[in-house]
Amino acid sequence: MSRKRTENGSESGPATSHVPVDRFGFLKQEHANSPERFSKSKTTSSTDHDREERKVRKWRKMIGVGGSDWKHYVRRKPNVVRRRIRKGIPDCLRGLVWQLISGSRDLLLMNPGVYEQLVIYETSASELDIIRDISRTFPSHVFFQKRHGPGQRSLYNVLKAYSVYDRDVGYVQGMGFIAGLLLLYMSEEDAFWLLVALLKGAVHAPMEGLYHAGLPLVQQYLFQLESLVKELIPKLGEHFTQEMINPSMYASQWFITVFSYSFPFPLALRIWDVFLSEGVKIVFKVGLALLKYCQDELVKLPFEKLIHALKTFPEDAMNPDTLLPLAYSIKVSKRLEELTLEYQKTNAKPVQP
Amino acid sequence: MGDLGKGYKLVFLGDQGVGKTSIITCFMYGKFDTSYQATIGIDFLSKTTRYEDRTFRLQLWDTAGQERFKSLVPSYIRDSSVAVIVYDVASKQSFINTSKWIEEVRAERGSYVIIVLVGNKTDLVNKRQVSIEEGENKAREFGALFMETSAKAGFNIKPLFCKITSALQGNEAVSWTKQEDLVDVNLKPLMFSSQANHQQESNCSC
Repeated sequence: MSRKRTENGSESGPATSHVPVDRFGFLKQEHANSPERFSKSKTTSSTDHDREERKVRKWRKMIGVGGSDWKHYVRRKPNVVRRRIRKGIPDCLRGLVWQLISGSRDLLLMNPGVYEQLVIYETSASELDIIRDISRTFPSHVFFQKRHGPGQRSLYNVLKAYSVYDRDVGYVQGMGFIAGLLLLYMSEEDAFWLLVALLKGAVHAPMEGLYHAGLPLVQQYLFQLESLVKELIPKLGEHFTQEMINPSMYASQWFITVFSYSFPFPLALRIWDVFLSEGVKIVFKVGLALLKYCQDELVKLPFEKLIHALKTFPEDAMNPDTLLPLAYSIKVSKRLEELTLEYQKTNAKPVQP
Repeated sequence: MGDLGKGYKLVFLGDQGVGKTSIITCFMYGKFDTSYQATIGIDFLSKTTRYEDRTFRLQLWDTAGQERFKSLVPSYIRDSSVAVIVYDVASKQSFINTSKWIEEVRAERGSYVIIVLVGNKTDLVNKRQVSIEEGENKAREFGALFMETSAKAGFNIKPLFCKITSALQGNEAVSWTKQEDLVDVNLKPLMFSSQANHQQESNCSC
């Protein structure tokens, strides 16, 4: 199960065992996460291959050796970078680019030896909770399947280190799916610092509120999503109200794991490309795009079938090339800011004297 | 609900990793899944079951067990008919914590709810930390029904849901029942049925 570093500092995926797996390392029968369901033919044509090669060359030129040209390029051509990220980062460069766009590479360089200290010398109150969840995180991925194998060990180390690094947050179920996703593209230490960058807000708004006691940020996001559904997809919003469906019934996972929990892996990766570069608004956009795309079917369904449908979207809706352009076309930034203020006003806690 | 029978909402509560999802999966699909993901937030499943010539539509709400997720739970308890509070017989702490879960349910629903205390993982014979008597006593103390199960071995899963439907029908006083009064309908390992549908019907043959 050894994983080799690529020349760009990211890691290639886990070595495949005798079990039939897709190109991302998920067991084939678990087709819910299989990328193959989206390709028109099982074999990649030479045209596709050439296109991918050209894309990789462009990206290599853009980031430079080990990311040396990245900041310079982003300053000079931010729109080009944004457009390319939205089209999808080449898989072989994904780990490195994620570290560059999240600011985690800088955190790593500024904190030498810290990760090792946290893993080896500190103890965490969350250790038992983490152990309990390790085998229940991406159980259909070869890297995480082997009990006490390298994948499970790395996942444990990253989660334990974070629970010590930020004892207020500790370990919360859901973090494992984020850490697990990162570990498929980078080393333990890199994954840890990317987790820190996300939760502490190195580039975008801090995510740690998703995991604080009471899940305050989850509650806020669910409020915002409900308002946006009513405003942007009124027919569906009305149907949800009639059927007494609220966003916590289907969308908590979206926010807590940034779609890494149950979404097809190729789609989750494309969302993560944009999430790391543009922030949490992509989660709203993708959620709204999904609901919009499926609304004609959803409005016909009664409560039970509706909840089931909101957990198992059809294949065509989950195709990144269909869904993401629709998501990008939905404008939410300004309204999200207004709804944040509205939520905070409504839920303002009196300051303790 | 039409001819589907009366619908009842069952909410499953209890600490992380005690087997809430496994009990539901075992009841729904007749199998124990060794590779399932931890529940994040809330999951929902429904099933039609027959009991004494009556059809019951059970809505099963599966919750994340970690303390931090408690803020998502109250709205699900609020209009539930049954709260199934699960602990792991091999974890004393998960048993101790059931008191908090029961209090949470009582705070939201008062006495308008059937509470079922379930000790899961009885297959872990050598690791048992909570005796049947302790479970029975706590159930009696809180006015709850009681049963021990093993989702892994398929032990007492159907009887658990039969007991619940019986209580919903009013045939059973909402009080504790001794473990030896319960019948196991399937001591053999469960058959792994791949055709199971998320809305399949089952006959409780208790």
